[in-house]
Amino acid sequence: MSQADGENILCSPISGIGRRLTDASNVLGLMDFSLAARSGVRGHGAREWLASRGLPSDIAPNHISDASDQGLVMALSQREFWLLQPDADANVQQPASNALAPGAWPLYCQHSHAWLMLIGEPKAAMMAKLCGVDLRECAFPIGQVAQTQMAHVSVVIAHHDYQDEAVFSLFVDQSLAEYAAGALTDAISEFNPPGV
Amino acid sequence: MSGPRLDAPFGRLIDRSCPTQFEFEGQVIQGFEGDTVASALLAADHWLISRSFKYHRPRGPLSLAGHDANTLIQTPEAPNRLAEELAAGNHPRLRAQNYLGSLASDRYALLDRLGRFLPVGFYYRAFFKPRGIWQFWERFIRAAAGLGVANLEVQPRYTDKQYLFCDVAVIGAGPAGLNAALTAAQGGADVLLIDEHPYLGGALTYHRFDVEGTQSQDMLNTLCDAVTQHKGIRILSRATCNAWFSDHYLPVFQGDRLFKVRAKQCVLASGSSEQPVVFRNNDLPGIVLCSALDRMLCHYGVTSRAPVVVLAGNDSAYLTAVNALEAGLTVAAVVDLRSGPGDTDLVTVLANANIPLYTNATVYEAKTDSSGVRLGKVHVHTCAADGSVGALQAVIPCGILAMSAGFMPAYQLACHGGAQLEYHDDRSAFALTRLPEGMLLAGSVNSIHELAAVCVDGRNAARRALRALSLTTDEDETRHCPQTVNHPWPIFKHPRGREFVDFDEDLQIKDIINSARLGYRDIQLVKRYSTVGMGPSQGRHSALTTARLIAKATGRTVSETGVTTARPPVKPESLGVLAGRRFHPIRTTPLHDRHRALGAHMIPAGSWRRPAYYGDPKDRAGCIEAEAQAVRTGVGIIDVSTLGGIELRGAHAAEFLNRMYTYGFLKQPVGKTRYAVLTNEQGVVIDDGVAARFAETHFYVSATTTGVDRVYRDMQRWNAQWRLDVDIANVTAAFSAVNVAGPLCRDVLLAAGCDLDLSPEGFPYLACQEGRLAGIPARLMRVGFVGELGFEIHVPSLMAAALWDRLMSAGEGFGIRPFGVETQRLLRLEKGHIIVGQDTDGMSHPGEVGLDWAVSHRKPFFVGQRSVKILAAQPRCRQLVGFALSPAAPMPKEGHLVLRGRDIAGHVTSCEYSPTLGQIIGLAYVHPDDSGPGSTITVRTDRDVCVAANVVALPFYDPDNLRQGL
Repeated sequence: MSQADGENILCSPISGIGRRLTDASNVLGLMDFSLAARSGVRGHGAREWLASRGLPSDIAPNHISDASDQGLVMALSQREFWLLQPDADANVQQPASNALAPGAWPLYCQHSHAWLMLIGEPKAAMMAKLCGVDLRECAFPIGQVAQTQMAHVSVVIAHHDYQDEAVFSLFVDQSLAEYAAGALTDAISEFNPPGV
Repeated sequence: MSGPRLDAPFGRLIDRSCPTQFEFEGQVIQGFEGDTVASALLAADHWLISRSFKYHRPRGPLSLAGHDANTLIQTPEAPNRLAEELAAGNHPRLRAQNYLGSLASDRYALLDRLGRFLPVGFYYRAFFKPRGIWQFWERFIRAAAGLGVANLEVQPRYTDKQYLFCDVAVIGAGPAGLNAALTAAQGGADVLLIDEHPYLGGALTYHRFDVEGTQSQDMLNTLCDAVTQHKGIRILSRATCNAWFSDHYLPVFQGDRLFKVRAKQCVLASGSSEQPVVFRNNDLPGIVLCSALDRMLCHYGVTSRAPVVVLAGNDSAYLTAVNALEAGLTVAAVVDLRSGPGDTDLVTVLANANIPLYTNATVYEAKTDSSGVRLGKVHVHTCAADGSVGALQAVIPCGILAMSAGFMPAYQLACHGGAQLEYHDDRSAFALTRLPEGMLLAGSVNSIHELAAVCVDGRNAARRALRALSLTTDEDETRHCPQTVNHPWPIFKHPRGREFVDFDEDLQIKDIINSARLGYRDIQLVKRYSTVGMGPSQGRHSALTTARLIAKATGRTVSETGVTTARPPVKPESLGVLAGRRFHPIRTTPLHDRHRALGAHMIPAGSWRRPAYYGDPKDRAGCIEAEAQAVRTGVGIIDVSTLGGIELRGAHAAEFLNRMYTYGFLKQPVGKTRYAVLTNEQGVVIDDGVAARFAETHFYVSATTTGVDRVYRDMQRWNAQWRLDVDIANVTAAFSAVNVAGPLCRDVLLAAGCDLDLSPEGFPYLACQEGRLAGIPARLMRVGFVGELGFEIHVPSLMAAALWDRLMSAGEGFGIRPFGVETQRLLRLEKGHIIVGQDTDGMSHPGEVGLDWAVSHRKPFFVGQRSVKILAAQPRCRQLVGFALSPAAPMPKEGHLVLRGRDIAGHVTSCEYSPTLGQIIGLAYVHPDDSGPGSTITVRTDRDVCVAANVVALPFYDPDNLRQGL
């Protein structure tokens, strides 16, 4: 299946939000990265599998690490890791279900979770309207991950750099993505000038 | 209407260049930007603002700080707004409330004269005898009850909540709070400073701390500049901290937003409430606390031509007299409850100004002027420290009486955290002790009143917070505070009463004492019986007096008596702000937009939204019938993405499944599906689904829409014990699914393009395979939930919309029609399939619902096996059966009872009219003796109409299962 065909097959669960980074740092931007590539692995052999692929494998749970040209590796527990590739497109193959290596099971995070990216200086203040975790830089520096609730739904929040900007990546159940995007958009409206 | 204002520095809050105006009771009132409604009314010499709750006595400001209920007024949007807090000009038209006739001439004021017949508790003791009399009284009481009028047409405002995090929360921005905030921030803490007023400084902005009046002004400017410029301090003004909860969780209300503050340390610098003197008619408009007169002058520059009398229980009140003098008011006298001030310089100041000083004296009675609603004069008598009153010394004409009997710590927040109030006889004052960890007191809430000591106390509190945060090792400064500010007994009972203890509830001395005499000795019972402290003031001005009165009446100490429990909220709060923005998560499938575009009528299914059917709800039956017809005769497609999906992978996947579900799964061939029933440890059916085996080590198990989270949780819990080599993943969101059903469904799939052999031989009933359908990677299963040839197609969720589009396009030539949940429920009912949760309840075991066949009796274990065996061995007391009725019969509904004689034998769980079968069909629990086909059961339908239904064998449709195996 070519990528051109893939573009016709894949459909983000969120409508009306693009994937382009906003230019102004003093406003908040919300981007939809749901069609960007991501995969996951978990099990007692997950760390070894990461290492065998040349990926960072010594990440503590709830941390995210830059894997240079391979994207980012996010550790959700001692045995669960997501590989995020914001600059690559999702593929249209059947997600693998067989073990990648002994004790290393692939996860379906490409399809189970929508990926939103939040950019802009007041992002922690805005998130305080929706989430009970202190996401200010002093308490939640770059490299940290929070598995928490946002607007009453489960969310994974990762603080990392993307294109030289500090961003929050938000992962929510894809069936709740439209709802979550609505809650975020509403909260953001307080921080952005009308029309932005 | 307005009066002259004092020149600066008086009136620090008003902007004289920005006039405002509003209407109060039809009278136009002029004010300035910065005025409150109350201050603008006072400037217009309009002291009567409201009527009291019970006796409709005239009332004006008492604290002028929003700490009492004397200035409750009605805005167009809402009743019971405090005129002391409402900005003048924000509401063009305002009214007083709780009167009949006019505010000045309230016909309900007659109740004041009938007061002797309306003692405390009269509600409890009247109106219920003789029997039936309540109906007579009720209309009068209801007509008189309530304050103000709710506007039912008001548009809801956007309210919101937000978390705020800090190292140190400082509550109160008076001298103690400012010092605490600054010291904490200078020590490196992230500080949040919270104050209910729009300005910083607290008492520094109005109170005179020395005769010259220079101390407070200099300190105010210095502290405010330092605090506002410090980057480590965030200021929340006009914000009320309404409670303290564990771990320093502070709900702070600011406008239409509730801040949920999470602090590591909490400095309470909430100040103290000045206490009134209790004497006859101490509630007349014109009688205010000393701090209120100070605010009137210093904040709003409001002056008065009427003479002022100051009633002092401490030295602080003398400084109010000095303030008034400096503002040009006529101070007619200072009446000191004591033998004289501690600071003899104050006597000199009064003497120099020719102000008479009455010592060991009190105002025993206040009287109105010619208007009948405003203070006109006071009777001054000699008095002793125990409250006994002697001879009349003077009658002094005055328009304002400023009084101060002492101060009560603003104890509420501390007490929310479990702090105790201890009474100190030597100081005649309560003090807070046993504070929760991390809560620190500073300033007058800590019973410190001398300015320098207050500042030191604030800094010390900050240092303790910093030490707890490991940000400093600095020791505390020493402080001395010898000042005593409370008079031991500022309570002067009058033979004719009307000495008010609680202004909110119109409670007099006799009301409190009588409560004790009636046996309500405990302060909590006194509160409940008399309602003391239950008004908006929450005991700020009544708790101390009540404790003293009850202590004396019951022969206990004030410490033993205590005060009533302080509970949140500290101040009234709006339910709208408490509710905040509503978050109601709604789950939608990737096909949601497709359904809407096709005119689906969406209904909730748990947290999901699903199409009930497609078409006009007015023709619900027609839509469902047409959809069912399409499935039975052609082809239909339904979105089943909400079905739960659990992936089991690993060497022990089959063993795990075998232990979890009732059926046998160890020998389930790869490429086959098997019905899976889940029971709990009590043997009750809690879920069902289909287990598809795609590899030796890989099962894909479906679960019910609303049950999957529980199933997943149970699986994880059990495997935490079993330690089997299996990975359990909830993939509900990762896979979306459609069910294409009907005799033509195979043709549609072939038309869409499929790389699998879909023939009956290549893909038989109950088979499952992975392949590509319409170019999309998919898992296909042959299932028969609706009783027709059907394929359930599961695809990765991002591809679900493309699958739907391609199948709809491929099915166009075959008349494919989408069908909804309600149609599916009808179709499965025709087939006799149960829905767990609808046709089962918390008692249903497999035998009762006809699922014995899905229970393996040969395997050693499954969850609930022992209970299932025990239940199966018991005599059955009900059985789920199918029943049929003529279409002309009254339609039973889910929940309708099945009767057996006069007993309830069971109930209907599902019932529909089947257009295919031309009769009403349903499932119901019945007595086992009535469960055989051919039996008759009685169903009680709407309006108690009983119908006789025939028990029939299941399934109703295609009993030989020929169609699903096509």
